[in-house]
Amino acid sequence: MTSHTAVVARRRVRTGTLFAIMCVIAVVMLYPFFYMLDNAFRNQAQFARQSGHSAVSWRLLFTQLPVWRELLNSTLICAISILLILAVSTTAGFAFAKLRYRGSGLVFLAVVAALMVPLQSIIIPEYVNLGKLGLINTYLGAILVYVALGTPFATFLMATYYRGISDDLIEAAVMDGLGYGRTFLRIALPLSWPALATVTVLQFIQIWDDLLVGLLFLQNPQQRTITVGLAALSSGRTTSIPVLMAGSFVSALPAITVYLIFQRHLVKGLTMGMGK
Amino acid sequence: MSTLTAQSQAAAGPTPGRGRARQPRSRLARRRRRAGILLTLPAAAVVVALLGIPVGQAVYYSMTNWNGLTATWIGPGAYATALSDPTFWRVIENNALLLLSIPFAIGIPLGIAWLLHEHVRGWRFFRSVYFLPTAVSWVVIGMVAVQFFAQQGLMNKLLADVGLGSLQTNMLAGQRSALVALAITFIWSMLGTNTIIFLTGMATLDPTLIEAARVDGLNRRQIFWRVTFPLLRRFVQFSFVITVISAFSALFSLIFVMTSGGPGFGTTTLEFFVYQSAFALGQFGTGALYGIILFVIMIIVGLVQLRLIRSEDGEGW
Repeated sequence: MTSHTAVVARRRVRTGTLFAIMCVIAVVMLYPFFYMLDNAFRNQAQFARQSGHSAVSWRLLFTQLPVWRELLNSTLICAISILLILAVSTTAGFAFAKLRYRGSGLVFLAVVAALMVPLQSIIIPEYVNLGKLGLINTYLGAILVYVALGTPFATFLMATYYRGISDDLIEAAVMDGLGYGRTFLRIALPLSWPALATVTVLQFIQIWDDLLVGLLFLQNPQQRTITVGLAALSSGRTTSIPVLMAGSFVSALPAITVYLIFQRHLVKGLTMGMGK
Repeated sequence: MSTLTAQSQAAAGPTPGRGRARQPRSRLARRRRRAGILLTLPAAAVVVALLGIPVGQAVYYSMTNWNGLTATWIGPGAYATALSDPTFWRVIENNALLLLSIPFAIGIPLGIAWLLHEHVRGWRFFRSVYFLPTAVSWVVIGMVAVQFFAQQGLMNKLLADVGLGSLQTNMLAGQRSALVALAITFIWSMLGTNTIIFLTGMATLDPTLIEAARVDGLNRRQIFWRVTFPLLRRFVQFSFVITVISAFSALFSLIFVMTSGGPGFGTTTLEFFVYQSAFALGQFGTGALYGIILFVIMIIVGLVQLRLIRSEDGEGW
């Protein structure tokens, strides 16, 4: 009897300790967000003495800085890039999985191998090429780069997904006279919505959070994304830190919201890179 | 059901794709082949035009003196010149030092995943919290990190609170200490992604194996090191590769916001050096060259990974 209560007591202590450790880690992970909000609600003087709160920095952020414009730019660029990535990767993924032709394996390998190209290795020629086409400081220039960077992994993911759909289903649809194009659109595409969601969430977070591409291809404040606008502000050094914190929070919010809603799909996408 | 499958299999042949592709006789097979090529064309075009060709150009321009408009040929000697530049080695040293953070960037999430896997009350909430950095831009993370490491920042306040006030420094002002600050921020930023990987790995484990180990009298620590960890090897390798790739090619935003590569070259890594050479100094050729060196390093990391996966599964894709 005593040994039983001892075991129960020991288990309690153990779960209690685990819980405490997890709380400490949670504080470490959440602290930056608390810091952002806490200091966004201060003015310069309040920030300097770290006491008192006010909403003045938020007003400054939204009235003095083109935050709305930047949010709109980010949204537009993300939406168009993701649509293009989905269009290119679903069609190719479907063909690589279900319509293999001689050499398609090699093409697939080439597309997926492009995953290994670091952005920094190609950014200079890319910049010069798109510059020659007059695409610097246009949405299209940045979108093309994001599409190129997103396509290899998205194609890999879609091909993996379509491989899981039975060949018979596709064959049957074709035998019924749907044709390959309509079989893809009406049968395969609707079946693959979980993979579409995964690609969308991954790419949204990647593009929304990107700095380097935006910094080089969208130098004009008119086209800047929110992340680039924020980085430009921070390198200005004259900006008040409370305003920066308010801006940081605003820029982080959409990605965090998407993450919280589609967590499951993000997790799936991140772990699918293992090839299984 | 089974007869249906058997029938359609007979109709399609055992390997429908390959078999048909070799003999595009029937009208249907021709259409199928055409559809296949047509549907893969856009993806292939995007990759070739926007990734493949630029790689080729980068290789060519790395051997030239290039300012973005005119290029004069130098030849492979450009690499010898670049490799004898002490600044280049200073930058590589930073990259090498950053690799020292990798055991932490993997070990801490492994521990966290292990804690989460115990499914203590509220573990779902904790999981969402721990994954959070994955969604947040490194620009934002860097912005807060600058405040954290500042002279008046939280880190120095904490040091004073625990009686270590003498250790207070402005970490971002010293070359080595700024690199340490960058590494700490990097470890924090990787926590979410690596915890996801390990938690997924632990979900694939067979609970009966753990149970068997427990019956055999192993304690929790022994179970972790002798049963769980070996079974997670594939996931550890994957997270290792992701972390190395991130350390070499995803730190740009963090460096840009936290230190701009300074003080001096204290936090300039190879990827940041590419940007600086080309877009701050106008040396596009040298920048391209550093980019190619970065690419070669990534290829080596990728090949090592493929080898590791192959040696275990028998085959990779």
